[in-house]
Amino acid sequence: MKPMLSTDLNAADTTVEKAKIEVKGLNFYYGQSKALKDINLSLPERSVTAFIGPSGCGKSTLLRVLNRIYELYPKQTAEGQVLLDGKNILDRSQDLNLLRTKIGMVFQKPTPFPMSIYENIAFGVRLYEKISKAEMDNRVESALKRAALWNEVKDKLNASGQSLSGGQQQRLCIARTVAVKPEVILLDEPASALDPLSTAKIEELIDELQADYTIVIVTHNMQQAARVSRQTAFMYLGELVEFDRTEKIFTSPREKRTQDYITGRFG
Amino acid sequence: MAEHTVASFDEDLRQISRLINDMGDLAGSMVGAATRALLETDNALAQRVVSDDTIMDARQRELDDRAITLIAKRQPMADDLRHVVGSIRMAGDLERIGDLAKNIAKRVGSVGISAAPRDLTHSIDSMAQLVLIQVQAVVQEYTVGDASALAKLRNDDERIDVKYTSVFRELLTYMMEDPRNITACTHLLFCAKNLERIGDHVTNIAENAYYVLTGMQLPANRPKQDETAMSAPAA
Repeated sequence: MKPMLSTDLNAADTTVEKAKIEVKGLNFYYGQSKALKDINLSLPERSVTAFIGPSGCGKSTLLRVLNRIYELYPKQTAEGQVLLDGKNILDRSQDLNLLRTKIGMVFQKPTPFPMSIYENIAFGVRLYEKISKAEMDNRVESALKRAALWNEVKDKLNASGQSLSGGQQQRLCIARTVAVKPEVILLDEPASALDPLSTAKIEELIDELQADYTIVIVTHNMQQAARVSRQTAFMYLGELVEFDRTEKIFTSPREKRTQDYITGRFG
Repeated sequence: MAEHTVASFDEDLRQISRLINDMGDLAGSMVGAATRALLETDNALAQRVVSDDTIMDARQRELDDRAITLIAKRQPMADDLRHVVGSIRMAGDLERIGDLAKNIAKRVGSVGISAAPRDLTHSIDSMAQLVLIQVQAVVQEYTVGDASALAKLRNDDERIDVKYTSVFRELLTYMMEDPRNITACTHLLFCAKNLERIGDHVTNIAENAYYVLTGMQLPANRPKQDETAMSAPAA
């Protein structure tokens, strides 16, 4: 069955939105082992989609397929289609560097480069664009402002990125992602290593960023998924069990497996 | 329904269910006792209803405390969330049923001393029986999880509204026949109105319970048969 956004009577918003990413018949293998089974879903543009599910359900795997980062590792293969604006990114002819400028990613642990705050952002930009020092200064400033970090670091742009707190480092990574002007941002547990205040800042940031970007977030924190996302996908054992508007998933999911998971009745 | 991984979560939810059950039982017994006190001019029984209302209020406060604490501690989702929020709302309606039963009980003295003829109270009695059945059934159906019975029960309120309209007309007739009946009939009219309001609260509870069980809202428009608002100016 292909999970679709619900259009029942209780649905508040049933407008059909433009899909930024469409996943069609996706299977994924770690060697012989099948980690994703016939995934079909459509991620609306400029909106936050959350992937939830127990450990090993395939949610991070699915995220890693969306920018083909899995190809960094041997024996990992994907079958099916992932359409970005209608174009299959799993196609061999897809330029991976170009793909990753369009689809940025932020990981669970903050991963600042061992260089200055300024260079953390400029480094990625330089890989793809040749711009003047003044333009670069502007780009760094606007990325840091976009990531709500500017006021905290504007007087120490030459300090090491690693000297920042965990929450600041994570926002630096988001600034770095935003600086190369992506269209989609993938967030893999972006706040799980952060304290509640830093988590709130990241969530506020996600809320602001969705005006310009299509965002996909993997999280174990269901309250977080409920707070930040517009639609939620529940995955289990490599299958997409249910995909619906977030408020529907968290108040009256259709599938018993979803209900058992989100209410803490699993296993 | 499977148990939660955290067993104390189940216990917290069970305590809320238990309170709703207790309040439902108490509401039923208060409505029954208030009506009997009214029909039999039993002041002692009426007094018991008044004091039962204090217990009802305490139960509601306990339920509110437990529900708020559960939300803060557990952040319930899906059916658990509906259960907790629905219970808060149902407790509010049950508490109001207690108040209305108390209002009926408080009129027992006034109706009694003005020596209401027995036949005045006959139709109130049959209306009260209808209401009592609804009050007792609603929490029971919720507890056994019968959503379709709840939908039917909500529609059955129509019968109470029809009954109220006929009691209203009947009492007006008695008052016009003999002005000495006016005091008693006015008190009885208030009692009938209280019974009709109890029916409305049962309807609210049925709607809430239906939502808790199914995650779906019943359609907004249900049959409405209380015609006294329209007939009153003409009378």
